[in-house]
Amino acid sequence: MRRLARFGALLALLALWQLAALRGLPDYVLSPIEIVKHFVAALGSRELYQDAAASLMRALPGFAIGTLAGVLFGLAAGIARSFDEMLSPLVFLTYPVPKIVMLPVFMLWFGIGDLSKILIIALACFYPAFINAYYGARATRRILVWSARNMGASESEIFRRVVLPGALPQIFAGMRVALALSFIVMFAAEMINARSGLGHLIREAENGLRFDLMYVSLVTIAILGYAGDRLLRFLRGYFLPWEESHA
Amino acid sequence: MRALRPYILIVALLAAWEIAARSGLWSPILFPSLERIGKELWIFVASPDGWWQTWTSLYRTFGGFALAAVVGGALGMLMGRSPLVAELLDPLFSGTYAVPKLALFPIFIFVFGLGSLSKIALVFLECLYPMTIITYHGARSVNPIFIWSAQNMGASRLRTLARVVFPAMLPYVFAALRVALPVALIVAIITEMISSVDGLGYLVSYSLSSLKTDRMLALVVVISALGLALDHALVALRNRLVYWEKLDTFYV
Repeated sequence: MRRLARFGALLALLALWQLAALRGLPDYVLSPIEIVKHFVAALGSRELYQDAAASLMRALPGFAIGTLAGVLFGLAAGIARSFDEMLSPLVFLTYPVPKIVMLPVFMLWFGIGDLSKILIIALACFYPAFINAYYGARATRRILVWSARNMGASESEIFRRVVLPGALPQIFAGMRVALALSFIVMFAAEMINARSGLGHLIREAENGLRFDLMYVSLVTIAILGYAGDRLLRFLRGYFLPWEESHA
Repeated sequence: MRALRPYILIVALLAAWEIAARSGLWSPILFPSLERIGKELWIFVASPDGWWQTWTSLYRTFGGFALAAVVGGALGMLMGRSPLVAELLDPLFSGTYAVPKLALFPIFIFVFGLGSLSKIALVFLECLYPMTIITYHGARSVNPIFIWSAQNMGASRLRTLARVVFPAMLPYVFAALRVALPVALIVAIITEMISSVDGLGYLVSYSLSSLKTDRMLALVVVISALGLALDHALVALRNRLVYWEKLDTFYV
């Protein structure tokens, strides 16, 4: 009952939408039941899987490269002063810059294929990963480091056993932002220029006025985004059992 | 030497670019020299059309951003102070948080038309999430002792909200604004790149399709400068209004 109440607003919204559809909506707004019907029908076809796979093959490698680089450099800048002074100004200077404007430049340098899209996704994911790892490492409490050193821990041990566990919650927060961002940038890049993928599918559907396909693409990307986020939260609970999740 | 450190990497990157451009290994279409980019930048800044296109993009950015700031701030405050509203709205926001709202853009085009309105609507939707979620956390983290004291001294509900809760969550509001503002600019530019006939995003894709790389990179510089200037303006405003708290955390 309580669970039902939690989703009350969502259910009410869907019910209202469906009721509105009964009274007649414009062509481009399908009712929830119609959307589900089209989506189930599309699940039976090969094209949807191909497009979803093409999209994931861009978003996931980009996410992996970007967050890995971001976390590594962020941790390095968080613990080493000289690194911090060299790298951080550049990162914070370019942080508010919309990275997607570099897509045309990347297309010139790396071709119009998948590589330019993967790299632009990696670039976009780098920033939240870097900034969160940086602040996570910097927020390590001095006393903990001093105690560990006092008890004879080596520098690498201090990093592995004190700094890293302390920074992990922040790193996960950064990864969560980066994952959402990787899907947005993937979709944008595919809408701007691609021959496959969910963003391409929605553009094709728009040009051909296939509203059913537009909603199928939309539902697929929503499910993928949601699943990715859940997976990340599950991993966070697994690696950080002591942290209460609040999001 | 130490004071120079922050500039080492930036200068090195610019130098590497100029060397790559002048080495003749790549066509100037791939790596136009800084001089040519600067020239295009000057042409852009000197022409009234450049200002007009910049204004178009900014208008879309701020339209959606301001709307999201007001609506998201109010929603976050309500959710933070009323468990009922939080129970109702929290699943809606956290459930759809990771869904790229950009996917709705083609539908928005049909609903709101090809002009500015569909772009403003999408900017609003994308900014609404960080605004609501961060102010929600802010409103929840208000020290209850302040609220009890205010109530004890006979403050009405509305007065408590306006004089205690709002100032206490103001640092969070600014943190949310700071996350949302670059998002607003990004979404405005992306939507213009996808489908538009004006604005900076459109100019970027137009310069690329006419292989005017130097002009495109000049536009990238303009957009980057806008993003930086907006962020700095927001931080300056924050430091004036929330003078009691030093800004030392960077929310993402």
